[in-house]
Amino acid sequence: MSKHLRWIAVVLLVAPAMRAEAIPAFARKYGMSCTACHVAWPIFNQEGQNFRDNGYQFGLGKDDPVTLSPAYIPIALRTTPAYQFTRQTNQPSDQGPITVQSGGVPLPPGVDILTAGTVAKDISFLLVVSGFGPDGTASVESAWARLDNLFGSGWLNFKIGKFELDEPASAHRGVALTYGYAVYGAHPLGSTVGFDMGENQVGIEIDGHDARSATRYSLSFTSLNGGEVLSGRESGNGWSSPMVYGHVQQAFETGSSVLPWVRVGALGGIGWWPTTFDTSAGTPIAGTGREHKKLIRAGGELSWLMGNAATPLFFTVAYQYGREDAGLAEAGTTDPATGIDLSTVSNSFHGGFAELDWVPFSESSYNSVPWLLFARYDIVRFQRGTGDVDGGTIGVRRYLALGPRASAAIHLEAHVDQAKGIGAPDPVSGLPMNVVTQSVLAGVDFDF
Amino acid sequence: MKRILALTFSAAIAALAGAAFATPAVPDAAARGRKAFDRYCISCHGVDGDGRGPSAEWLDPRPRVLTSGTFKFRSTPSGELPTDDDLHQTITNGLHHTNMPRWGPITERERGDLVEYVKSLSPRFEKEPQGKPIAIPPQPAFTPDLVRTGQDLYGKMGCANCHGDTGKGDGSSAPTLRDDWGFPITPRDFTSGPLKVGDEPRDLFKAFMTGLNGSPMPSFAESITPEQSWALVAYVRSLRKE
Repeated sequence: MSKHLRWIAVVLLVAPAMRAEAIPAFARKYGMSCTACHVAWPIFNQEGQNFRDNGYQFGLGKDDPVTLSPAYIPIALRTTPAYQFTRQTNQPSDQGPITVQSGGVPLPPGVDILTAGTVAKDISFLLVVSGFGPDGTASVESAWARLDNLFGSGWLNFKIGKFELDEPASAHRGVALTYGYAVYGAHPLGSTVGFDMGENQVGIEIDGHDARSATRYSLSFTSLNGGEVLSGRESGNGWSSPMVYGHVQQAFETGSSVLPWVRVGALGGIGWWPTTFDTSAGTPIAGTGREHKKLIRAGGELSWLMGNAATPLFFTVAYQYGREDAGLAEAGTTDPATGIDLSTVSNSFHGGFAELDWVPFSESSYNSVPWLLFARYDIVRFQRGTGDVDGGTIGVRRYLALGPRASAAIHLEAHVDQAKGIGAPDPVSGLPMNVVTQSVLAGVDFDF
Repeated sequence: MKRILALTFSAAIAALAGAAFATPAVPDAAARGRKAFDRYCISCHGVDGDGRGPSAEWLDPRPRVLTSGTFKFRSTPSGELPTDDDLHQTITNGLHHTNMPRWGPITERERGDLVEYVKSLSPRFEKEPQGKPIAIPPQPAFTPDLVRTGQDLYGKMGCANCHGDTGKGDGSSAPTLRDDWGFPITPRDFTSGPLKVGDEPRDLFKAFMTGLNGSPMPSFAESITPEQSWALVAYVRSLRKE
C-alpha cells in the first residue's frame, strides 16, 4: 500500500469533528431557552428532535415569518476560538519514524453562518456556510429545502439538497470538538471510496414521524459524489454513484424514575462506487469513473436516559457493520499480515461507539444547565488489513450563557486514539507501526 | 357582636373546609417539576413563575402569571382553579397563537411533574379545592336553525362588542380591553384559525360556559342554557373562513 493511501485511511478514521448545527436564532424567534430543545447545546432532547422533524415548526401559528416582527433575522453565528495541541506517533519521515506535535490557536478561528427556519407554513430550509478560517475559504456545509407535512401528515416530508443523513448520533450536533465518530468514516485498508457517513450528502430524503417523534423513519437517495471531502475519484455524474440509506427509530417511555426513556434504531445503506477511471499522468480524472462496485452499511443503536429527564444521564451506544466489494481497494494494496492483495477480495468492518452525556444538575436561573460532562469510546475492527481503531474522548463544558438569546461555553476536551498498522514502517520488521493520536482542546464556544 | 362572631366563625369554617378539600402539589413531584421548569419554562414564565422571564416583554400574549393561580383554559366554572387534567392538557398541547409550545414530546412523567410544580407556585392550590369539570352535553347537529339561534344569541349577549359583528375580533371595545395584569388583550378572531386551547367545538363550549379567568371574557353559564351554548358554538363555527 502506498503511503498516500495510508494517510487517507488515517484521515478518514480520525477525522476532525464536524461543526455543530445549533441555532440560537430559534431561541430568539420563540423566546425559549436553548435548554428547551437541547439536552445541553448542541445535543437534541425529544422536544428539539420533534421541532426539527416538524420542519422547524411548533405548529401553533407562530412559525410563519409573517407572524414575526420584521426585525427578526433568522441567522446565527458560531465561532470557537480554541487552543488545540495534537501529537501523533510513528509518522514517516526521511529520518525514520517520528512523533509529530502541533499546537496553536487558529486566527481567525473560523465561523459558521447558519440560517434556518420556515419561509412559509410547511416549507423549511437550512443553509450553513462554514469556514472563514486562516485560509479565508468558506464552503456550503448544508443547503436544503424541505416540504413538510405533505398531505397534512407528519409521516411524509420531502427534503432536497445537501443534508446530514439521519444518523444514530448526529455528526453535526456532537458535543466533541476534536474528533468525530470513527465508525462513520471507517473504510478498509486501501479503500478508494470517498463516502463518509458523517459528512453531509447531496440528494433527496423522504422522512416521517409520529406526533411526538417517538417513531421516526428516513429514506435517503444520495450521490456519493456529494460528500464534503471529494476524493477525486467520483464517477461521471451525480447519480452514477448512488446510495440508498434508511434509518428507523422507536422511542419508549417506561414511566420509571430510573430509566424514563429508551430509544432503539436500525440503519442500512447500500451504495455503488466506481473502480475504473480515465487518467492523466496516471492520476484518476474526477468524473470519469465506471465499473461500480458495491458498499453497504448496516447497524443499530440504543439510546436511553437515566434519572430525571431534565438533568439526564444520556447514553448512546451504536453498532455498525460495513462491507466493501472486491475492487474497491487500491490495486496492489496488501494485507501486511497475510500478504493478500486486498483489491481482489471484499473487506468488512465492525465498529461503533458508546457515548455518555451528563447534565449533573440544573439551576433555577436563566442559565439552567451550567455543566455538561461527556465521554465517548470509539472502536473499529477490520476483517482484513490494518487500521483497527480504539479511541476515547472526554470533556467538560461550562455554560456561561444558555438563555433565550445566545449561548457560550468554556470547552475542555481530551482525546486519544490508536490506529493499528497505519504508521511509518518499523525499522526492524518493516511492518507499518501503530499510530497514537493525542489531542487536547481548550476554548470558548460562542453561538449567537 | 354575636352576629360578627357567627360570621367570623362561618368564614373560618369555610376556609378550613376549602383547605380540607384542597389538593396541593405533591412535594416530590413538584421538586422534580422544578428542574423541568428551569429547563423548559423560565425564559417566559420567569424564575419564580411570575410571568416575567427575559422573553416575556417580547411576547404577545404575555406568559401566564403562574403565581396568581388564575388560569384561562379550564374545564371548571368561572373563578375556580383548574383541574390537573386542564393544566396537563395546556402543557401537552400548547396554546395556538401564543409562544406556548406543545410539550407533548417530553416524557409523560415530566409533564406530570410540571403540573405539580405549577400548582406549587400559587397558594390558592393549598387553600382552595380544584374545580369540578362542567358537564358538556352531547354536541347537537349544527343545523341552519341552530346557527340562526346562535346568531341571535351572539347579538343579545353582546359578543359583538368585543368580537365584532363579523367575528373578526374588531368590536368597538376591542382596543380598550386589558387582562387582570393590565396588559392589552385581543379578542379572538373567529374567522380564522383555532382557539388558543383547541379546535374542537367542545373547546368553544367550554370557553362560553367557564369564561377565561384573568381576561375580560366572562362565563355565560348563568345567562344561557347548555343548549343555547351549543347554538352559539354553531354560529361562531360558521364564521370560520379558513
